[in-house]
Amino acid sequence: MLGSVDFTGTTVLADLEAGIGTLTRLHQAGVDAVLIVVEATPKSIEVGTRALGLVIEKGFGRVVVVANRVRHEADLATVRAAFPGVEVVGIPDDPAIVEADREGVAPLDLSPDAPAVLALVGLAESLLPSPN
Amino acid sequence: MRVAVTGKGGSGKTTTSAIVARVFGRHGLAVVALDCDTNPNLGISLGVGSVETERLLAMRETLDDESDDGGGDHAPGWDDLLDRFGSDAPDGVRLAVVSRIENPEPGCL
Repeated sequence: MLGSVDFTGTTVLADLEAGIGTLTRLHQAGVDAVLIVVEATPKSIEVGTRALGLVIEKGFGRVVVVANRVRHEADLATVRAAFPGVEVVGIPDDPAIVEADREGVAPLDLSPDAPAVLALVGLAESLLPSPN
Repeated sequence: MRVAVTGKGGSGKTTTSAIVARVFGRHGLAVVALDCDTNPNLGISLGVGSVETERLLAMRETLDDESDDGGGDHAPGWDDLLDRFGSDAPDGVRLAVVSRIENPEPGCL
């Protein structure tokens, strides 16, 4: 759908299926930026690494690795080491996100000032098209 | 601009997608959030609630049933699909569940 629908004038945010299956079927025309969400675990990094390989191979453009649930500096270092030369944004492990999930509400509404929420807001703002 | 969010299951894609989508909306972008997961719950993270999120999935499955029946001589336009199967989330975000419950690929068989 990303490649076949005319989304002119619209900003599309696609939350892909877990894993990289969908990513393998996307082609360059469909994507301007990819966020690869990983945790500082070998399994998560492995999926992220495969995703990065696909993104580079398909020439999708801007890539950001989102290092999620960072508990300490070592977690962030682990992710940075796994994705050298790639922009990495760290999101802290945050009970506010867990709480929002438990309550079935948006973290942005429940805890707008929570560290993880603020970090994700910052990430989003860094993706905004720059005014020309 | 088209942004795709990927990663291992449980890594936080949906939480990330939801906040990014709403921030885009707050900055005046016309945002369409696509939930491509076969177990879609982006709506909950966006703040539309679980009832509405379930309703969206039910509508999507209706579309799957219709197309399986070979219904329609023309594919619905994107605006039509959004009107029928989309939902309004906070901050002007339009949400659509686009995953299709297809026959699972026999990867483990």
